[in-house]
Amino acid sequence: MLRLREVRAGYGGREVLHGVSFDFQTGQNYCVLGPNGCGKTTLVRAIAALIESTGTIEVDGRSVRRMKRREIAGKIAVMSQVTQVYFPFSVYDTVMLGRYQHMSGRMFGRPSGEDRDMVEQCLRSVRLENLRDRRIDELSGGQRQRVFLAQALAQNPEIILLDEPTNHLDVRHQVELIDYLHRWSADGQHSVIGVLHDINLALRLTENVIFMKDGDIAGSGAFDQVADADFLRNIYETDIAGYMRDSFEKWRNIQ
Amino acid sequence: MKNNFRMFLLLALALFALALGVALGSVGISAADLLAILGHKLFGRALPEEIPGVTVSILWTIRFPRAVMAFLVGASLAASGTVMQSVLRNPLASSYTLGVSSGASLCAALVIVTGFALPLIGRYTLPLFGFLGGLGTVFLAMALAMRFDRNLENQTVILVGMVLSLFVNALLTLVTALSSDRLSQLVYWQMGSFSGQSWENCALVLPILLVSLGVLLRYSREMDLMTFGEEQALSAGVDLRRVKFLLIAVSALLTGTAVSLAGVIGFVDLIAPHVVRRFFGSSHRRVVPMSALFGGAFMVLADLAGRTVLAPQELPVGAVTALIGAPFFAYIYFRRGRSGS
Repeated sequence: MLRLREVRAGYGGREVLHGVSFDFQTGQNYCVLGPNGCGKTTLVRAIAALIESTGTIEVDGRSVRRMKRREIAGKIAVMSQVTQVYFPFSVYDTVMLGRYQHMSGRMFGRPSGEDRDMVEQCLRSVRLENLRDRRIDELSGGQRQRVFLAQALAQNPEIILLDEPTNHLDVRHQVELIDYLHRWSADGQHSVIGVLHDINLALRLTENVIFMKDGDIAGSGAFDQVADADFLRNIYETDIAGYMRDSFEKWRNIQ
Repeated sequence: MKNNFRMFLLLALALFALALGVALGSVGISAADLLAILGHKLFGRALPEEIPGVTVSILWTIRFPRAVMAFLVGASLAASGTVMQSVLRNPLASSYTLGVSSGASLCAALVIVTGFALPLIGRYTLPLFGFLGGLGTVFLAMALAMRFDRNLENQTVILVGMVLSLFVNALLTLVTALSSDRLSQLVYWQMGSFSGQSWENCALVLPILLVSLGVLLRYSREMDLMTFGEEQALSAGVDLRRVKFLLIAVSALLTGTAVSLAGVIGFVDLIAPHVVRRFFGSSHRRVVPMSALFGGAFMVLADLAGRTVLAPQELPVGAVTALIGAPFFAYIYFRRGRSGS
């Protein structure tokens, strides 16, 4: 379980998260929704201890601030959105870097048979086994995103954090990514906490939503119980429900 | 398998470059004589009578230490450049980018001008101050960059580093201009040269290079991860602050030692990792040792060109590497610009 109590964080003396408290249950997926600047990304970065924060962040009863980096990496993986690749590693080598925390105690970080098996399994699960020797700067955006998903999976974490993972992806690859993560977390042992702008895509991953506004949680729970038209209008300062209904009307006639 | 073959090929090329560096010059030495002299000096074998003593002397006290020193300095600078490119996540970064070379040069110049030597460590004073100057400058650059940009974006770090580097270079120019009695020595040293290198200097650089390469190999995975960005490295489990400090310190040690003993020689640290990545991929487990090997071989050949192209006049090796390096830098930069990556 991931437990947050009164978590505050920000940048350069400006507080962005104003005391967030929430319990993320193991085996459940969550989507963090809200307008730009509401603190979604800051929340994810604070959970992964990528930025400094105050308050309590505990994974399975242990404070992440007292854990070594390698220990945190064993529990939480952040799926990166590396859009610019300056050093063209092969697909295989990139995914193998996800095994860092398992290898770093060994001489020159040499991978074990278990590491290699894990990488092969991750490559197969995202259907990249045939591209294993390709340079990642030669891949399409969708393929590259799958490489970084495989890298996060190779880390073998309990929780995968995503921050706008579907940026730069076409609709097909967005759906594929979300469906894969849904399957990965279906065993009840893993969780995905994702920041997504697209509410429909978020609902494809999970019904559990956390709406944020002005650096705090404005509402959380099952989507249909939390969100009504007024609530969404208050969060996004526009008639989101009306917009969605209009869209669905247009889709209704598509055969 | 392909990489293993390429590794052996590069090793063979490096040995060949070393052999050329030793054999060619105003007095030509044949391969047979070279091997005979080597056998005599290293394994105590009898020397053929037809080899004059002066040839042995030229080879063993002048050419060999010069070529070996060129190799060690080239390897040190190349390894240092590899670290900088990884830590700054910028394939155009080098020891010059953050002022490591400038700081090392300034402190080494001060030691040369004042003739200062620390008790107990004597001749190690020069490389020690080179190291401290390099390290001090790079950390000053990082601290200044942090004041402007807490996220330490690469562009800020590089810009601040280059400004600081120019400032420190201006101080170096002042020191040079005000030291009239040592003016020519300092100017010549700043151009970079392997003239008059000794086995003692080689013995000083070799352990530093070997230990540094060992440390860099140990942290090769961390360097791999850092090329994807600091958050990526952190979330994969890298103890970033400690590793970054250590890597920059090793880079400063390598550059500081090289600059203080051989002067300012640019572009090897930029070129070597690029060429090596083209053939061996980006994994630092291969890039670090292969860059060192390539950088060493490149420096031996640059020094050879410097002392033979316009013989008997000797060109400063720093000029030779820059003449090749500047167009290469432009090629890399504009190629990146065109591809938009």
